[in-house]
Order: sequence, then C-alpha cells, then structure tokens
Amino acid sequence: MTGRADPVALRLCLAIVRLGARIVPAPQREVWTREWDAELRHRWSQRVRMSRAGELRLVRRTFGSLVDAAWIRRQLTLDADAVHDLVHGVRLLGKTPGFTAVTLFVLATGIGAATAIASLADALLVRPLPLPGADRVMTIWERNTATGIGREDVAPGNAIDWVGRTRSFSAIAAVEPWSLDYTAPGGDPEVLYAARVTAGFFDVLGLPMLHGRSFAPAEFTRGNDKVVVLSHALFIRRFAGDTSIVGRAIELDHQPVTVVGIMRPGLELRLFEGRREPGLYAPKYYEDFESRVRASGYWNVIARLREDVTPASAAQELSVLSSQLARDFPRTNRTIEAEVVPLRDHLAGSLRRLLPLLLGASALLLLVACANAANLLLARGVTRAREFAVRQALGAGRGRLIRQMLTESLMFAAGGGALGLLLAAAALRAIAGLRPLDVAGADRIPLDARVLAVTIGVSALAAVAAGLVPALQLSRPRASAVLREGASTPRARRAPNALVVVEVSLALLLAVGAGLLIRSLREIQRVDPGFARGQVFSLQVFAWDRNDTPAKRSAFFTASVESLRAQPGVIAAGAVSAMPFSGANINVRSAMAVDGRPPAAAGEDALIYTTIVAGDYFPAMRIPLVGGRLLDARDRDGSRLAAVVSRSAARKFWPGADPIGAKVSIRFNGRPLAAEVVGVVGDARHEALDRAARPELFLAHAQMPFGSMTFVVRCQPGAAVTLRDLQRRIWAIDPQQAFYETATIESMVSRTLVGRQFSVFLLTAFGVAALVLASAGLYGVLSFSTSQRTREFGVRLALGARPRDIVSMVLREGLRLAAAGILVGVIAAAWLTRLLAGLLFGVTPTDLPTFVTVIAAIVTVSLVSCYVPARRALRADPIAAVRTP
Amino acid sequence: MTSGRRRRGHRNGTRDGLPVDIELYICRILPVNLTLPTTLVLQALARGHHYGFDVMDATGLPSGTVYPLLRRLEHEGLVRADWEDAATARAEQRPPRRYYEITADGERVLDAGKARYRMPGEVRRARPLKPRPLQS
Repeated sequence: MTGRADPVALRLCLAIVRLGARIVPAPQREVWTREWDAELRHRWSQRVRMSRAGELRLVRRTFGSLVDAAWIRRQLTLDADAVHDLVHGVRLLGKTPGFTAVTLFVLATGIGAATAIASLADALLVRPLPLPGADRVMTIWERNTATGIGREDVAPGNAIDWVGRTRSFSAIAAVEPWSLDYTAPGGDPEVLYAARVTAGFFDVLGLPMLHGRSFAPAEFTRGNDKVVVLSHALFIRRFAGDTSIVGRAIELDHQPVTVVGIMRPGLELRLFEGRREPGLYAPKYYEDFESRVRASGYWNVIARLREDVTPASAAQELSVLSSQLARDFPRTNRTIEAEVVPLRDHLAGSLRRLLPLLLGASALLLLVACANAANLLLARGVTRAREFAVRQALGAGRGRLIRQMLTESLMFAAGGGALGLLLAAAALRAIAGLRPLDVAGADRIPLDARVLAVTIGVSALAAVAAGLVPALQLSRPRASAVLREGASTPRARRAPNALVVVEVSLALLLAVGAGLLIRSLREIQRVDPGFARGQVFSLQVFAWDRNDTPAKRSAFFTASVESLRAQPGVIAAGAVSAMPFSGANINVRSAMAVDGRPPAAAGEDALIYTTIVAGDYFPAMRIPLVGGRLLDARDRDGSRLAAVVSRSAARKFWPGADPIGAKVSIRFNGRPLAAEVVGVVGDARHEALDRAARPELFLAHAQMPFGSMTFVVRCQPGAAVTLRDLQRRIWAIDPQQAFYETATIESMVSRTLVGRQFSVFLLTAFGVAALVLASAGLYGVLSFSTSQRTREFGVRLALGARPRDIVSMVLREGLRLAAAGILVGVIAAAWLTRLLAGLLFGVTPTDLPTFVTVIAAIVTVSLVSCYVPARRALRADPIAAVRTP
Repeated sequence: MTSGRRRRGHRNGTRDGLPVDIELYICRILPVNLTLPTTLVLQALARGHHYGFDVMDATGLPSGTVYPLLRRLEHEGLVRADWEDAATARAEQRPPRRYYEITADGERVLDAGKARYRMPGEVRRARPLKPRPLQS
C-alpha cells in the first residue's frame, strides 16, 4: 500500500477548511479560503519529503484554521463582544455559585409565578371561547334577594317567562338537565347525561353542526321529538367517531331515537350541577305543569344579546320582568331576581373573583423579583468594582461596561426564565391535579407559544431592570470610588432598604391572606354536616320508565332497599329524593301553611323543601331523631300522610313550640297535600358545608311513591362492600336500571371543597414565593452592606469588639428593616383582607392568631436570612482591614 | 446643545480642554499587545519566513495562534500582505500563496519586543530561505 499517495489526508484538510469558511464572515470568506487552500496545496506538493507524522501534523495544523476563522468572526462581526461577554459571564457565575443560585431562584420565582397566573388568566379571561361572538353569550340565573345566594338554577315557570317575554336577546333558550338510559351492545346499562333544549339553543351558540343538522322547528312538539344531537365527546367515546351514525336510530330509554347531528368539539357550557357536560341534546317542548313550577329551580337559561343591547340593559329588562313576576306570584317570586352572568365569567367559576387579585399580586411579585435581582447584582457589583475600574483604565468605554453587565443580566434572565417556565409548568400541573370543578378547563391550561412569549418578554424586561441599575452605577467615571465611598451612606442604601420593606410587607400580606383561607378551610372541614360521612355509598336512579304506576314504584324501591340491606357488611339502607351534596338533586320547594294559623302574609317567607325518604334513610345517614318518631311501616299507602320535619323547619314554623301533632298543607309535584307532623330530625347541610341547613319536610316513599331517588347504604367499617356489589343487587331486581350518579358521600362532600382548596393553594404558593423573595432581599441588602463595612468590622474587632457584638449589630440592622416591613404589611393586611371576606368562613379578616403566626414566621425567616451575612462579617480580618488604605 | 450640558466625549480628544486620559492615550498609540508570540512572529517575518505555514515552522507556534496574530499585525500596519507571483505558483501547479512582509513600523515594534523579552537573536531556521520578492 502506498499510503502516501492516498489523498485522504489532503481531502480531510480541505474539508476542515471548507468548514472553517462557513464561520468566516462572507466578505472575508473568499480571501481566507484561498489563503488556507494555497498553503495546504503547497505543503502537499512537497509531500515527497513528508513523513506520515508530517501528514498528521498537517491535519492538526489545519484544525487551527477553525480557530483562525472564529477569531476573524469575533473581530469583524458585532457579536464578537457578546461572545466575549458571555464567556466572561459564565466564568464569573461559576465562581460564585451561591450568588448565582440565589439570583436565579429569585428571578425564577417571580417569572414562574407571573407566567403561571398569566397562563391561567389568558386561558380563562382572554382566550376566545369556541363560539362566534362569545362575549354576547349570557347565562341567566336566579338570585334570592333575601338570602343573597345567587347563580341558582331557574324554576321552569320563570324560565318560560324569561324566554317568552324578553326583547334584549337575539336568541334565548331554556335548558333542562335530562338523562337517557343507553345500553351499548354487550355493555352494562348506563345513563347518558343529556340536555333538553328549547328552540333558540343552537342559535345562542351560533355554531354550525360538525355533521348533520340541528333540530327543525317541527321537532319541538310532542310526538315529533324522537331526535337527538350528539356532543362531540360522546360521538367519539360511544360511537367511535363513525359519521354514519347521523341519520340512524339508536335505542335510548328503550325507544328508537334518530341521531340528526354531531356538535363541534371543544364546547363546554358547565350549566349543570356537578359540572357534567351533556352527551346528548334533545328538543324540549313545554309541559303544561311546567309554567306553574316557580319554587323549584332546576332549569338553566342561556341567551345571546342583540347587537345593540348591553348586558346592563338586558339585566335591567330582566329586573323589570322579575318585579312583574314578583307581583303576579308573590308566594314564590317575591325574593327572586334574574342574574345575568356573561358565559366567560361563568366559566371562570370561583377564579373570577380571585384572578384579578392574583394578577395584581403576580405583577407585584415580578417587580419585586426584578428589583431584588438588581439589588443582588448591585451587591455583587461592588465586589467587582476593582475589575471595572481596571477595565475602565484600560480603555473600556461606558457602553462596553454596561453591555457586559447587561449580558450577564440577560444570562440571569434567560436562566431565570427557563427555570421560571419549568416552575410555571409545575404550578399548572398542580392546578390541573386539584381539578377545580367549577373552573372550565383548568385541568388543561396549556403553556403555549403565547405564554412562552410572555415569559420571554418578562425575562427580557427583568434583565433590563435588573441589569441597568448596577450597570449605570458601576460604569460611572470613578465608579469604584463612588461605590466605596457612597454605598454605605444612608442615602445610597435608601432604595434597597425601601425595597426590602416593601417585600416583607408584601410577603406578610400574601401570607396572611393564605393563612386566613387555610384557617377557613380547616373551619369548614370541621363543620358537622349533620350526618356521619364515613362508609356511605349513594346510588342515584331515575326509575320512572318501567315503574309507571305508584304501586310499581313503591314495590321497586321496597324490594331494592330490602335487597341492599341483605348485602353482607351493610348496616342500614334507605333512599332519598334529595341527597345532600349530590350533583343532581330533585329539590322540590313549596310554601307551607300550618293549620289553625292565618296564611303567610305577603313578605313572609313560608317556603320549605319537601323530600321523600324510603327505608332506613335517617339511620343510614346517622341523622339523629330529635323528637317524636321516624317514618316507618305505619306510614303506608292509604293511611294518613305523616311528615317528619328538620330542626330548622321546626324553628322556622314553630318557634318555641313543639311541632309534633301539627297539621300542615303543602304542594308536591303540583298536588296539594295535607300531612301531620310525627317527628323532628336533626339538620343536614345540603349544598355545601358553609351553607346553613335548609328547612326540610320529609314524607314516606310508601305514601308518595317517587321515581327519582338516591339509595343510601351504610356499611360496617372495614367491610369489603363495593359499589359494584350494590349495583348488582339492583340489577337483580331490574336488569335495565341505569345509575345516574354513584359515589361515596365522603367524595361528594370533599368535592364541594375543591374550589376553596384551589384558592388556598394559589394564595399559599404566592405567600411562599413572596416570603422567599423577601428573605432573598434581606440577604442581598445585608450582604451588600456588610461587604461595604468589612473594614469597619475589622477595626471594631481590632479595638476589642466581641464577635457577638458584630453579629448582633448586623442582625439589628436587618431586623429593623423586617420590623418596618411587618408594620407596613400589618396595616395593609388589616385593610386589604376585607377583599377576601367573601371567601372566609369562621374567621374574621383580622383574625389575631393568623396575624401572630405569620409575623412569627416572617421574623424567623428574617433572622435566618440576616444571620448568614452577619456570620460573614465576622470573617473580617482585623489586621488586613486596618492595613488596607 | 446649549452650553450648560456640553457633551463630554472622548471623540474630540479633550475634556474641558485637557487631554482625555493619559493611560488611555498610551493604550491608543501602542497598537498591539506586545506579547512573546507577537514578537516571535515579527521576528520570523523579519528573518525572511514570509508564509503562514513557514512562520509556524519557524516559531513552533500553532496555526490557531499564528494566523490571528498575522491578521492583527496586518490590521495594525506592522505587517504587509499580498499574493505570491502567479507564474511561480502555476509552475508548481498550485494556487498562489499569501505572502507577509514586516513594515518599518513593525521593525520598530520588533525592537521593543526584543528588548522586552531579551531575545538572544536568531529564530530557528526550518529550512533554507527562498527569498521571494513582492509583486510590483
């Protein structure tokens, strides 16, 4: 082999040069390439005299062309200095890992919090909803002016009047929650959540169908309504996205129903309790009785404003209509108003009130983080004053020095931004993990390109803010002297000191807010709901279809309860029409008259909820009997109607008297009824732990055989009973019976707390972030001032000061700042926590234990962050300090 | 601008009528860092090594040092560069090489460098010199 003749080495060398040519700026490229090419070829032409080692040397030497090329690029292009600054910056940061970590952490905290909240706000308040003209889509609710409770479902009678008599809307529709039984081939019977909608519904949405059509006018009439529109989610989940389903009939509630259309994906209205989206939409026509139902709300109303109408004037029109209805139906409508809520606000749920506060807080947090980082950079800048002085003396211009500092700040901002993005992603994951039920789509807030742009913008702003101040100060002529002389004067320290005071007070403010919410949550969790929570299953059924007579319904529920009770491990079983904390209740409410008393005067609230119970409902829930007896086998069909009232009903209708034996008349399902009170039971809270129990009257299922009931089953602690076991027992009686909602009562109760836990999580995260920033701020200011006073400390030590004196001197300085911050924070908190009043439960906005705990925590954190610089001050060498000029 | 806030720049060379900064001024007139490699490269050129690779051979410095130095010296006017005579290159069936020559300024800086580094004199010769005149 004649390796020498092999031009591989030359080819390799020329390839390296071609690579280098890419680095060289275009104007120089040709000359540069020619020069290296010529040298290589010249050497190659003399290769006869070259050994293999010589060839290798030539290759190695050619690699130098890359260095040469890089050098040219640095000399001749604008990024040359930037590259240099970057390398220099990285080297310096590596030398002070503690400082680097603290500064990065400070920036990441500010940027992360701001990004997470900005994403949340963007998704909930800014991002367009998937509806055309979504800003004009309104939800309309009932509001009880007597109790102040709003956003209540609408009674059908009121909804019908609103839909028929308003002029502010281009389209308005009533929506009735509905459910249909469906059994997929080979599957268990299941309940499909559905909505029956009146004619304007799809006009309100303004969305064309994905496939097929919406309902024709003729289909909103009895007998012609066997058509459905599928939601996109159900279309995918149950019918595998097969478009041939359109126009075909499916079996729903054991009747053929034709699928006429598929809705577009992404639509979420969150109208129903439990926030379940309907899978099916069916046409709704009004039943005769519905216009008379005005006390029990279970419908929803959704409307699209006319182009020329504002939400305020629509609300005005509805308010006029409400007062007309109040005059026409004083018994039910005296305290009922319409509440117009824009769809977007409705979808933002419990965050609607909190989010603007949080946005403000996060902006403040970001500002503080930037100022903090600037403070840290300035503190470090002092230690670099010598370097800057030398560079200035060697001819570095002011712009050059500022650029060096800005490059370093930008590196911090890039690092902080990247970390902040990670932090924000983690925060959003945590938010998704909490699944705040009343916030639409909070389980999938994306960190998308726009948020990324926000982060980058924020990082860049942070960099400029954090870098400019120290850069301007240090690059001043004779900067080092200025810094050395001026930095420890009170005047120069005023700005950083003020910053620390602001930080501490902000931390206190947020921590107090979080503390109050945490205490509220704990108070709420301690509330006795009136029943025992553990080991109770609830299974909701709508058993009307195959049990179409009272006798059949009575037989079905009697047999079912008996069968459930027979399950090993079950202590008690019963059923109830309005299950506490359930998502879909049949809340029947009417005015009650007590025999022998004048009818309720206008202006007197005589409403009571009527609930049907079967079997051992009260023992199963452990709702105690207060007086008289429970409903039992004596209360059967044909005997006198017996009623049990709750304690709050007893207090409301028989204050100071015994209700047992009293005769009352109420309406149930439109029928007038007369009953005798036979017992009083304890109160059970219904909607939420922070809502008072409602006055309630219970009737026996045997006497009022109702079809919509929830089975309640209490098991022995530790018994291995599953929901499936209980379902099988019901299926043994009716194999076609589907279950609307099955849950443990514990999960139903904790579901109502999710929104509150979410607020607690957000504010706590903010409080912690603010505390971290405040401690970093204190640390930065004290490090700065102790590094300034090394000489002073040295002299003091030389003159006999004990180390303890130095430490306590530094601690005093830091704690003075913390104390000022605490004072400002306490005043601000006492004033601002009132904004949280609506979210508090069982604590006052100026709760003393919360304030004391938070102040103690802040003092502790301040002590720790002051102690490190104080220890460092001790390291001052007396001899060195005295010797330095 | 009005008289009250006259621009205090370095561009006109004076500040309030006085020379800017003596140290800065010295930095200006001394165009290169007179390091040992700089001196070596100038010395090699003065001794007749006119091509980049030859300078490397003569000084023992790597190409990543020699070429940037040559370019900087050229930029500062201490070295002149041109292309080798095309006919010579053609005769050897290769492209013309780039040719470097020390200038009068370069000689003066070289003297300063030699004094600073107390150079004994000769740079090692790799092979016999083939003097090549500049193209005229």
